[in-house]
Amino acid sequence: MTERIEKLRAFLRGGGHHRFRRTPEELGLDGLSARFAAECLPDVERSARMLEALLAAEQPVILEGERIVATRTISRIPSVFTDAEWAEIKAAHTLHERGTVSNISADYEGILRDGLGARRAQIATRLEDPGLDEDGRRFLKAADDCITALQGFIARYEDCARANGLDEVAEVLRVIRSEAPQTLHQALQLLRMVHFTLWESDCYHNTLGRFDQYIYPFYEADLRAGRLDRDGAADLITEFFLTCNKDSDLYVGMQQGDNGQSIVLAGRDADGRYLFNEVSRICLEASYDLNLIDPKINLRVDKDTPLDVFEQGARLTKRGLGFPQYDNDDVVVPGLISLGYAPEDARNYVVAACWEFIIPKNGMEIPNIDALSFAGIVSEAMGHLPDFPDYDALWAWVDGRIKAECRRIASAHDRLYIVPAPFMSVLMGGCIERARDISLGGVYNNYGVHGTGLSTAADSLAAVRKNVYEDKSIGAEELCAALADDFKTRPDLYEKLRFDGPKMGLDDDAVDAVGTALLDSFAEGLKGLRNERGGIWRAGTGTAMYYIFHAKDLPATPDGRHAGEVIPANFTPSMFLRQRGPVSVMRSFSKQHLQDAINGGPLTIELDDSILRNDESVSKLAELIRFFVRRGGHQLQLNTLDKETLLDAKAHPELHRNLIVRVWGWSGYFVELDECYQDHIINRIKYKL
Amino acid sequence: MSKGLLFSIEEFALNDGPGIRTTVFLKGCPLRCAWCHNPEGWLPEPQLMRKKERTETCGFEMEASDLAARLLRDRDLFAQSGGGVTFTGGEPLMQGPFLLETMALLQDVHTAVETCGHAPEPLFRQVAEAAGLILFDIKLADPGLHRRWTGVDNVLILRNLAALKACGTPFVARVPLIPGVNDSVENMRATASLLEDAPSLQRVELLRYHKTAGAKYPMLGLDYRPGFDTEALPQVHDCFTEKGMKLLIL
Ligand code: SF4
Repeated sequence: MTERIEKLRAFLRGGGHHRFRRTPEELGLDGLSARFAAECLPDVERSARMLEALLAAEQPVILEGERIVATRTISRIPSVFTDAEWAEIKAAHTLHERGTVSNISADYEGILRDGLGARRAQIATRLEDPGLDEDGRRFLKAADDCITALQGFIARYEDCARANGLDEVAEVLRVIRSEAPQTLHQALQLLRMVHFTLWESDCYHNTLGRFDQYIYPFYEADLRAGRLDRDGAADLITEFFLTCNKDSDLYVGMQQGDNGQSIVLAGRDADGRYLFNEVSRICLEASYDLNLIDPKINLRVDKDTPLDVFEQGARLTKRGLGFPQYDNDDVVVPGLISLGYAPEDARNYVVAACWEFIIPKNGMEIPNIDALSFAGIVSEAMGHLPDFPDYDALWAWVDGRIKAECRRIASAHDRLYIVPAPFMSVLMGGCIERARDISLGGVYNNYGVHGTGLSTAADSLAAVRKNVYEDKSIGAEELCAALADDFKTRPDLYEKLRFDGPKMGLDDDAVDAVGTALLDSFAEGLKGLRNERGGIWRAGTGTAMYYIFHAKDLPATPDGRHAGEVIPANFTPSMFLRQRGPVSVMRSFSKQHLQDAINGGPLTIELDDSILRNDESVSKLAELIRFFVRRGGHQLQLNTLDKETLLDAKAHPELHRNLIVRVWGWSGYFVELDECYQDHIINRIKYKL
Repeated sequence: MSKGLLFSIEEFALNDGPGIRTTVFLKGCPLRCAWCHNPEGWLPEPQLMRKKERTETCGFEMEASDLAARLLRDRDLFAQSGGGVTFTGGEPLMQGPFLLETMALLQDVHTAVETCGHAPEPLFRQVAEAAGLILFDIKLADPGLHRRWTGVDNVLILRNLAALKACGTPFVARVPLIPGVNDSVENMRATASLLEDAPSLQRVELLRYHKTAGAKYPMLGLDYRPGFDTEALPQVHDCFTEKGMKLLIL
């Protein structure tokens, strides 16, 4: 890290730039939605007008030492609708989360190749079409207004830079206002402006996609022309990463830190070339040096990825940021192709805010629209246990219930309304051609469903099979009664089931196969179903926050879990597993047909940070990750933390402000989390390493 | 077919030899080192351990063939990473026949044995010849101090060390660094002398004393009064690289 970056980092971490922030009320922007309502303004125009007003109200701020500029000075983005209007919308429609466009990946490659002016020209040409309907015309005008507003914003920054004698910055801004960037500096500045504007337009979970791939041509051109050397490029890229942490406390999400600024490195192209380039390497180094939670890094790997790349990744893991997350192309790409994605789109996949696999430019997908509770279904089956003569009968019931739940979910998300996002539309494939806002759909309109409590369900079914049907050591009625009173009168059963019952994670084929059957049933249950936008339904291994909701009212389960006790997040073993270690866990969690349940959701393994004390250990960790990938695991997240620190952090948050953890796919500052999330992290299995 | 008494099998052990390894802990040890962090490895019989959540039996029996079969499940990972299996304890040579039998069943998998060296000489030689790597603990060079801090003198240990040097099996010398006990420059110099003229010595590892060593004593109903200052930081003297030995401080 250069001294310039270090200073800037310290300034931003200290929140020195927060003093420029003002609320919409202070800026007189809070009454806009009421005005829009009075004017009966169509929604897409509202989105454009709001963005115009916000960008015009932003005050250009250039911090000391900055070469990539744009700082948010408005503390909150007001809605384009009034509360009364929202009530009406909610009565007539379903909403996804906050109701605005989120969790998709823009075509950054395209905008950096073409520049803003070219997009305006494209819109102008499209507007000449006499066959356009009124909606199309209105959308295109709104999209054009958004670009114009951004250009005006850039111009004001340019003036500010010139007034401060920052000629280099001013010149970069002058170029990118309209032209396509030619240099790395210009490309990163335009990317910053575009990304800034996505947040400003109330879109959220704005991922950054294949950063190393779309940035590399600029890096290469600069080096070839002698404009920049590797260190100079690394300095700029590090600064760009730093900008992702500048306004992130204002970005909306489920929890602080859950803002979805993920980037994806490497991957393999159609010709079989592995695309780990010098920019990929710089990204891993920059993230290591900065030691900040954004952007969150995903590394696309496969069975032939060189060990050196895994080692680079393992070195970053040692930092304790909870990333990189590893995504296995050998499983993900064929999985997406078999779901119907075009091979070139499948190969271009990126990772959404947490771990869902999405397609940049062409995907207007909602990969986290609902969740199926495996544990809930198995728990429900326990109510009928005495009626099942054998395990097959129990399984048939569970299988049928999973499929019924799939059908229920698939019909529960109709009449979806999403607030138009004309600026995002400028960055998405086909919107200008179709003259339709991205909120109405893209090339792919698939929905994804999480599956919670997989290991709880598999362990429970395996325990019932063993104890009730095979050994007959516990009677069906007896087990039902014990579950009903939460093992209160049967501590013996509790001990036996909790600590000595079969568990996924021990490389025990019998129980692992139950996990496989559950996932297969889920994938089959969603197969062939369509959503109202014509998209398919994808089954996945993630849980997002659903694992908390689904555990809360869940009665005691036959894996020895108490009523209300937590269930594991994502694709991970039970908390009661007396583990042998990460190797068995990896074996257990790579046996399933993961290609068929490829919505995303990682195996998460906690590593005690003491294991990574020397370079030898880092190389061994790299080998372990490679082993998982070669076994056909689809996604892996490694956390390093120790329990004592976490407990201390809970008791004395003021002493641990910088402690970073990752929960269900995102990193955040531990002390900023709600207590239930803190407790969960503390209780997670520790590998004694 | 013989049975062994184990107290743990740990996967992804990082500091027990090359590559990714599984480490097998055999129960029973002839020494009583004051700083021992695995006191549950002392007794050659199962015993109770009181943990926070519940009381557990520490120690389980396993047939050599079952243990080997379980370890062989990971042979793909061992091959990929240049790793293998490490036997430690306790003192694995306390269960010599079981150890040798299991090692033989592991076929082409690389094996390492960590030993305190206090074992009958013919058995020690047999194990040293069968293993791919020996992790040889050297606690103290002086026989009197050795007796005081571990319960036995080091006469047998040094004879076995000489045998190890002669037999040519690659070995690593491991020295725990215990503050005020063996971290003096004199002891380090003497230790380095013991390791001279050993072409098969891979490297010397100094393992810093860790306060958590005392954690398991109360679970076993034992007092942890090691007789040295557990708060002190051990001195680190490198008397090894000057003699051409590789050194790693853990
Ligand atoms: S030789 Fe090892 S196991 Fe035995 S007492 Fe000493 S430190 Fe403990």
